[in-house]
Amino acid sequence: MSDALFRNEPVSSTPYVADGVSIRLAAPLKRYSLRARTADALETVLNVKVPQKIGATEGGIACLGPDEWLLRTPAEAAMPTGTGLPVAITDISERSICLVLEGPRAAEVLMTGCPLDLDNFAVGRATRTIYETVEIIIIREGEDRFHVEVWRSFAAWLWTAFTTAASH
Amino acid sequence: MILIHCPYCDEKRPEIEFANAGQAHVARPLDPSSQSDEEWEAYLFIRANPRGRHHERWRHVHGCGRFFNAVRDTVTDKFETTYKAGEPRR
Ligand SMILES: [Zn+2]
Repeated sequence: MSDALFRNEPVSSTPYVADGVSIRLAAPLKRYSLRARTADALETVLNVKVPQKIGATEGGIACLGPDEWLLRTPAEAAMPTGTGLPVAITDISERSICLVLEGPRAAEVLMTGCPLDLDNFAVGRATRTIYETVEIIIIREGEDRFHVEVWRSFAAWLWTAFTTAASH
Repeated sequence: MILIHCPYCDEKRPEIEFANAGQAHVARPLDPSSQSDEEWEAYLFIRANPRGRHHERWRHVHGCGRFFNAVRDTVTDKFETTYKAGEPRR
């Protein structure tokens, strides 16, 4: 990961604070796309527990699809390559950034453009979905706290959309 | 907004997460070189265009990413059922 001095983030590093909700850029994360036919195959390679059910998260790993997981970790991790095994582990750390929405109005702000029923989206769940026309990954970290993963090139637009929604 | 049941996520999700991917159960001939021009044309280009019950491929593109099959009524736009790719036609 590049030195923090040289990072050029697409959104403001100053949190946006409105009535009932704040929006801020999360600290840089390492991200890995994990692909395998089964969670068991990945567990063998990674030697950690991997969630089986789509939408479930465990130990920083979110199950996004029947053969796709996303691992997010704050620190540089020594990842096994799984050479010779039917798994694919890809470093996608700089593909996306994470916006953190926090406060009693966090779900309301997300639902201005996301069609999911977030009132019935349990804490600990994660999913890929869409906000207006921008693909995002939502992770409900707490009752009033959501992590929103978005590809870098869409982040500036999403920041504007979120802060505009929060200001109303 | 229509809700579509994704057989992989096993829940109903908003339609804008999905993409239509054309008619379902169109199998590529196992030995293309054995096909006549007419047979190959039929495989590549000729599709049913029913008024009513239609088997389609859909993809949960902004979700789990998977292709699956659906039976949709082209008149009412109602989804009768959805099922995983590879399962027999319903
Ligand atoms: Zn799905």
